[in-house]
Amino acid sequence: MTRLRILLSRLRALLRSRRMDREMDDEIASHLAEAADDYVRQGLSPEEARRAAQRSFGGVPQTKEVYRQVRSFTLLEELSRDLRYALRTLRKSPAFTLTAAATLALAIAANTAMFSVLNAVLLRPLPYRSPERLAMLWTEDPTQNLREGRSALWDVDQWQRRSQSFADLATFDSVSTLLTGPEGVEQIVGASISPNLLPVLGVQPVLGRSFSAEETELGQGLVLISHRFWQARFGGSSDALGARLVLNGSPARIVGILPADFQIGRFDADVWQPHSTHRGGRGPQTWFVIGRLRPGVTFEQAQAEMSAVGRGLNDQLPANERNQGVTVVPLSLYVVGPQSRLALWILGGAVFCVFLIAAANVTSLSLARSTARAREMAVRAALGANAGRIVRQLLTESVVLAVVSGVMGTVLAVWGIRLIRAFGPANLPRLNQVSVDLRVLGWALVTSLLAGILVGLAPAVTTLRRDLRPSGEESGRSVSGGTSTRRIRRALVVAEFALAIVLLVGAGLLIRSWWYVTNVDSGFNPGRVLVIEVSPPPTVTVPAQRTGLYSRVLEEIQAVPGVVSAGLIDDLFSDNPRERVLTVERNDGTLSERLRFTSDAITADFFRTVGTPLRRGRFFSTGDGPDALPVAIINEAMARRSWPGDDPVGRRLKLGARDSDRSWYTVVGVVGDMRRQGIEREALPQMFVPLAQDNPPGNVALFIRTSSDDPLAMAGALRAAVRRVEKDAPIFGVAPLEQQLGTYLTQRRFQTSLLTGFSIVALLMAAVGIYGLIQYSIATRTQEIGLRMAIGAQAGDIFRMILGEGLTLSLSGVALGLVGALWLGHAGSSLLLGVTASDPLTFTAVSLLLTAVAIAACYFPARRAMKVDPIRALRVT
Amino acid sequence: MTPDKSDVLYGTLGLMVIKTLEALGPLHGYRIARRIEQISGNQLALNQGTLYPALLKLEQMDWISSRWGLSESGRRVKIYALTRAGRRQLHREEAQWQRAASIVERFLKISEDPL
Repeated sequence: MTRLRILLSRLRALLRSRRMDREMDDEIASHLAEAADDYVRQGLSPEEARRAAQRSFGGVPQTKEVYRQVRSFTLLEELSRDLRYALRTLRKSPAFTLTAAATLALAIAANTAMFSVLNAVLLRPLPYRSPERLAMLWTEDPTQNLREGRSALWDVDQWQRRSQSFADLATFDSVSTLLTGPEGVEQIVGASISPNLLPVLGVQPVLGRSFSAEETELGQGLVLISHRFWQARFGGSSDALGARLVLNGSPARIVGILPADFQIGRFDADVWQPHSTHRGGRGPQTWFVIGRLRPGVTFEQAQAEMSAVGRGLNDQLPANERNQGVTVVPLSLYVVGPQSRLALWILGGAVFCVFLIAAANVTSLSLARSTARAREMAVRAALGANAGRIVRQLLTESVVLAVVSGVMGTVLAVWGIRLIRAFGPANLPRLNQVSVDLRVLGWALVTSLLAGILVGLAPAVTTLRRDLRPSGEESGRSVSGGTSTRRIRRALVVAEFALAIVLLVGAGLLIRSWWYVTNVDSGFNPGRVLVIEVSPPPTVTVPAQRTGLYSRVLEEIQAVPGVVSAGLIDDLFSDNPRERVLTVERNDGTLSERLRFTSDAITADFFRTVGTPLRRGRFFSTGDGPDALPVAIINEAMARRSWPGDDPVGRRLKLGARDSDRSWYTVVGVVGDMRRQGIEREALPQMFVPLAQDNPPGNVALFIRTSSDDPLAMAGALRAAVRRVEKDAPIFGVAPLEQQLGTYLTQRRFQTSLLTGFSIVALLMAAVGIYGLIQYSIATRTQEIGLRMAIGAQAGDIFRMILGEGLTLSLSGVALGLVGALWLGHAGSSLLLGVTASDPLTFTAVSLLLTAVAIAACYFPARRAMKVDPIRALRVT
Repeated sequence: MTPDKSDVLYGTLGLMVIKTLEALGPLHGYRIARRIEQISGNQLALNQGTLYPALLKLEQMDWISSRWGLSESGRRVKIYALTRAGRRQLHREEAQWQRAASIVERFLKISEDPL
């Protein structure tokens, strides 16, 4: 295309203007020299010849000026002329402009907002030095299907000695921390880290410093605080450095302040204290391990080496812990797991489909308009505009339209991003960092321009094909639109339906999974249950005091009117319980194995309060006191694992290895499985012991079943009851159980509702698209319809003809879309629960829904077509 | 293209340039200017300098191409040649000019020979 070439050569000229200037100077100089030679041959003296040459050339500076103008400035001038014309044309048809701009703006907004999430969560590098060389290291136990287990410090020490891949390894874990302040004691989130954690991550405190290994070994009370904690407690003042906090009853001096938003994946804390990495033996405590690869070492190489190291270590481990391995996972994959990544990419793809559908609709609109403008184009062609000029004008119009939409869309997106930050799933890491940056703006620009080109291209191409015959052939009423225009518009409708069905099937499958998840037996009956978390004040140090305190609190609560029952557990929800050794007595002897399971102390009424059913045996009673026979209740998962096919009631188990001196517990009951690691995850093996027979935990969760549908209404009365027993007891986390369970579903709710929203928009747009096409096709075929009726077609025939046209289009789209949906379903099958990726019910329902929508969209235009009066249709000339 | 005044001027000049290149083959700027002056019987007071913006425009339209070469006297000069697109354009413009010229001619006849 000539225009494009001129544009390119001018752009090139702009970029290389100095060189072009030099070339021009050379060219003029040789011109003058050649001319002077000629004059010398005519007999002039060299000096006269030189002046004559100058004269016939004209002003050299003027020439250069014009030359430069030709080279560049006309570009801007012509561009502004095109833009003015485009704006005028768009203003002249406000209905088209508004519809198109609003459609595109919404699509661009949704796209940009979604991209900002992808950008923040997946694309932006993690805020550490060379984050691509950081890895999480996990203890793996294939016999337990355990891939990401925490590791003992002894193991980490061995890994470090035996491997070359990592420059350094650091450990961390969360610890529950009590902060004693002027207003009393409160629970805060604390972290225990190895002193080399910050150097490994390559993070510097914004103020102060980190710990040294020597200080850590000396056990000086030192602490780093989070930026958030610093702002909240010290108002961001530098006085914080050196200030003392009382943590878990002992003083700690603040040595540094961490950068804002510092966290390790989802791991976050307010106070960070160092732990010694030199401890003899292989204690029960396990840690998260993070390592920095040496330069040039790949994750595969590191994994290969660590697998070998793991095998080598097996010989030094107790028999029941052999076969352990080491898993190396890139930190980025740990921060945002594969499922979240997949879901985000799918959502990004879905919103891009919506964008394509929107662009298809606007294209279809502007094609219809270009047919109507065929006469205008023909006139302009007759007046001397060449095809390229007209195409450029059409493209300028659509790009102007798209840029206007893009600006509107970006503004909307900023607003949408606020919504996402406010209502998005809190447990999606880095979502709080979603913001508009250059990359997001760039994406908005790219989508806008893409929309402009997509929308402008089809009308431009058909205009070119139409060959701009000024005869007005195309605008003749006997031909319904342009054939090529119509073909493209039909293809667009088919594509819209295909995309819509892919989205609808995706949404359908997610909705089915949602339905499954929300109806799955969680092992709880969470309605009407309120959870209050309580700690004893730090003054209560003797375990027996804590037991007494808890039972007095429960008594007081049970006396509150409206309380049906109350129970207590140390910790109900735990994402990632540690693996420990469990020894059980079976028919075939005593078995010890390292196992991931939970073990909690509860009170007698706990199961009744949360509504967990008893499968065998009995619940605890007040008889299971400190001096009675130690007893335990296990869940079905543990029963299946430890006593497969056998009745566990009456059997014994104990924590620790066969030869440990822990006491044996006798199983007295089996309860249903509680999904305590998230509704979507199968319950782990769980065991429970009576609080009275256990070392009472430092903080507990009280469960209170109330007679009120709004348990939160009783929060005040229940707090007061706790305070009556112990006025200094820190109370935190008062929430209905349903809400606590619900937080496990926020990511799924986010995915499901977003995809459902997108697919509904897609469905509506596809419906509008087919309606517009059929409507338009009838409008241009009025005469043909009249003719058909005149030669004997019945109204019913016309109706069927129009409906048939719409159905053919929509069914082609549905057929194409189902293939895409099958593929998508399989790609995203890991997000599905309780439903297969090719679920026949979803596929059938969605196909029927889409066909019904298509019929409805064609019904009204078809009805109108039936009422065409053949006389009038044929008479109009 | 909506022509402006300078466009018309360049257009005419441009036609002369491409016709010259068609007739004589690749030439450098000074030779083109001299040829146009000679053909017009030195009646066209051409500022030779105005040739260069016109040449640039033609090159932007891809009707002519240029490369650095040597003149008859061994000077480094830019040599222009007609492209295939330029040849097509020439035929188009020739036809247009002839049509326009014949129309104008007929008009002039009318005024000379009133009915």
